[in-house]
Amino acid sequence: MSEPEGKSKQSEAGAGLMQYSAEGMMPFGPVHPSLKEPEYFKLYLEGEKIVQVVPRIGYVHRGIERAAQERTWVKNIYLFERICGICSFHHSLSYTEGVEALAPFEIPRRAQYLRELVAEFERIHSHLLWLGLLGHWAGFDTLFMWIWKDREHILDLEEAISGNRVNKSYTTLGGVRNDLPDNLAEKSRTEVNYLEKRAEYYKSLVQSEETLSVRTKGRGRISQETARKLCPVGPLLRCTGIARDIRDEDPYAAYGDVPPQVQTENDGDIASLMTLRLNEVTDSCRMVKETLEKMPSGPFRVNFPRSVPAGESTFHVEAPRGELFYFVKSAGGSVPERVKVRTSTMANILTATEMLKGHTLADVPVVLTGMDPCFGCMDRVAVVDVDKSREWTIGGEELRRYGIEYYRRK
Amino acid sequence: MDPIQVVELLLFPGLTFFVWLAFLFEWLERKTAARMQGRRGPVVTGPFGLLQPVADFFKLAAKEEIVPAEADTFVLTWGPALYFAAPAIGIAFIPVIGYQSVLYNPLDLLFMLFVLSFSTLMATLLGYAAAGRYSTIAIGRLVVQYTSYEVPLLIAMVTPAVLAGSLSIEGIVAAQGSVWYILLAPVAFAIFVIATLAELEKPPFDIPTASTEIVGGWMTEFSGNALAYIKLTKNLSYVFLSALAVSLFLGGAGGPVLTANADLQALAYTCYFLIKLFAVGFLIFAIRTALARVRIDQAARLFWTVMAPLSILQLALAVLIR
Repeated sequence: MSEPEGKSKQSEAGAGLMQYSAEGMMPFGPVHPSLKEPEYFKLYLEGEKIVQVVPRIGYVHRGIERAAQERTWVKNIYLFERICGICSFHHSLSYTEGVEALAPFEIPRRAQYLRELVAEFERIHSHLLWLGLLGHWAGFDTLFMWIWKDREHILDLEEAISGNRVNKSYTTLGGVRNDLPDNLAEKSRTEVNYLEKRAEYYKSLVQSEETLSVRTKGRGRISQETARKLCPVGPLLRCTGIARDIRDEDPYAAYGDVPPQVQTENDGDIASLMTLRLNEVTDSCRMVKETLEKMPSGPFRVNFPRSVPAGESTFHVEAPRGELFYFVKSAGGSVPERVKVRTSTMANILTATEMLKGHTLADVPVVLTGMDPCFGCMDRVAVVDVDKSREWTIGGEELRRYGIEYYRRK
Repeated sequence: MDPIQVVELLLFPGLTFFVWLAFLFEWLERKTAARMQGRRGPVVTGPFGLLQPVADFFKLAAKEEIVPAEADTFVLTWGPALYFAAPAIGIAFIPVIGYQSVLYNPLDLLFMLFVLSFSTLMATLLGYAAAGRYSTIAIGRLVVQYTSYEVPLLIAMVTPAVLAGSLSIEGIVAAQGSVWYILLAPVAFAIFVIATLAELEKPPFDIPTASTEIVGGWMTEFSGNALAYIKLTKNLSYVFLSALAVSLFLGGAGGPVLTANADLQALAYTCYFLIKLFAVGFLIFAIRTALARVRIDQAARLFWTVMAPLSILQLALAVLIR
């Protein structure tokens, strides 16, 4: 983009904002009950109607990518897992597979199946969590309580297989940390059958419950064209009828052998997101059973070297929220030279602001939850000089110097 | 005023009795919701957690009160007391221990309407006086909601009066000796219950206090003692409106005469009243737990296009029956 063009666009947006008086601006966040993580949205209102949304990200930037450069390859698994508590396994999975791509090792098939198993557990729990939260933000606490109670079944399975409910630390370089415990296959089948039934029940509930459907039908609607323009990922894209799923397009783990049936909906609103996610839960239940059935015997891990050969790799997985992207660069040492993470919320945030426009303040929690935000995963820092329309990033040393300067001047 | 009446007003069946009922209602609401949602609800304070609402009240009342700089301190000081006064006076007109209420006026149904409006007016005033952004939005919603549910509520309350040919609650209760008005005017009862949910700001009409959208609604800026009294008032209104439903549609404290002893019979009447009161309360809890919140425009549409015509139809039917 040439500079004058950028200038004109900026002033245009500025002129648009000037029309709404300061009184019409409603701060949404950074601390707000419907945001579990701090993020700031300037909502410009006319009455209760939203006419403009300006998100401001960066409140929980944690500097994880920098921290990763000082930790060994193995330690980083536990670090990246902590980017997100809900899709923690997908973070470690994407990272390990990215690193494994740099080293010439054959990962055992059994490990790949176990990875897919836990990944699908995580998808089920994430989708159920999302639906429960949506119920909560729509003022339907009963749905929230019921779903979160059912979600415990999956968390118990995750604990049985990995020892942890949330940050599972299950995948490791060269395979997984431990084999499938005895009896767990049988237990998983029973629990998953139960959850399949519950998913069917919830599907009928969200479609027939009048008070819930008036809050979600037609809310946060995005058209297929908007979706193509703004490039959201995951369910947000699939609910507009575009069948894109990394598990299907670029299979990793054992998804080549146990492929998903890519689910789509056509309405592109919150109601279709609910149906879509519940359909995906059902599909994941099927995949769990199929994975358990087809799981080959053999080792579940190979020894992996402490230092990784020099090189670069990119890897992406389909996290519950959508595409999760990792770039790993090794200089041949025991620590990575650079790891770059692009989470799905980062790809979805602009679509979310588009989804909010034209709706009322009462729709904000429902629509924002509808995109399944994970702001902590997404936050990053860029320094922008609006006048010179210049943008750059600050290194650690520069930031330290700036901080010292700032307080000296104060 | 004779001393017995003062005792009745302040202790039984007046204020103290109803305040304890208000605490009990909050406990029952929390317990019902919890059981319906697969939780346990309050269990720690007192047997079955019965004293939890009381403990909550005192804990909140003991906390520091923070007054926003822009707030109108006069209204913030006296507003909660006036807000509390509305249902506290209203309950004195409900017959509990028989067919007589503590206070009586031949036109007290109209006074009940005033009490309900006054309660909303005080909420509006308190919200505006607190001068917060969330409260301002909440008050907008509250007023829109009030203007939508008031007409159906008013007509639903007048229907029993038309059937009984009396504008006093005592008269309406007395006229239900043979048949309860819930049987003659079921639609009016249903509308009354739904409008009650709106008046109490409970789901699906908890729009002015929607915690996930506007923090604490119009109560956002309140804290400490004032908030404790506002919450108590809400629970008292809960009991008050349920008691009104009992009086207008379920025959009040009326029931079979068991004994010639006047005192024992008064006890029996009180029991009838309480049973009916908890039945209505439980109905409201169940609806409240089973539904999601609607939006303000949807609520307004519901009340104006469905409830209002239905209530007018019911009133016309009542006139015909009479």
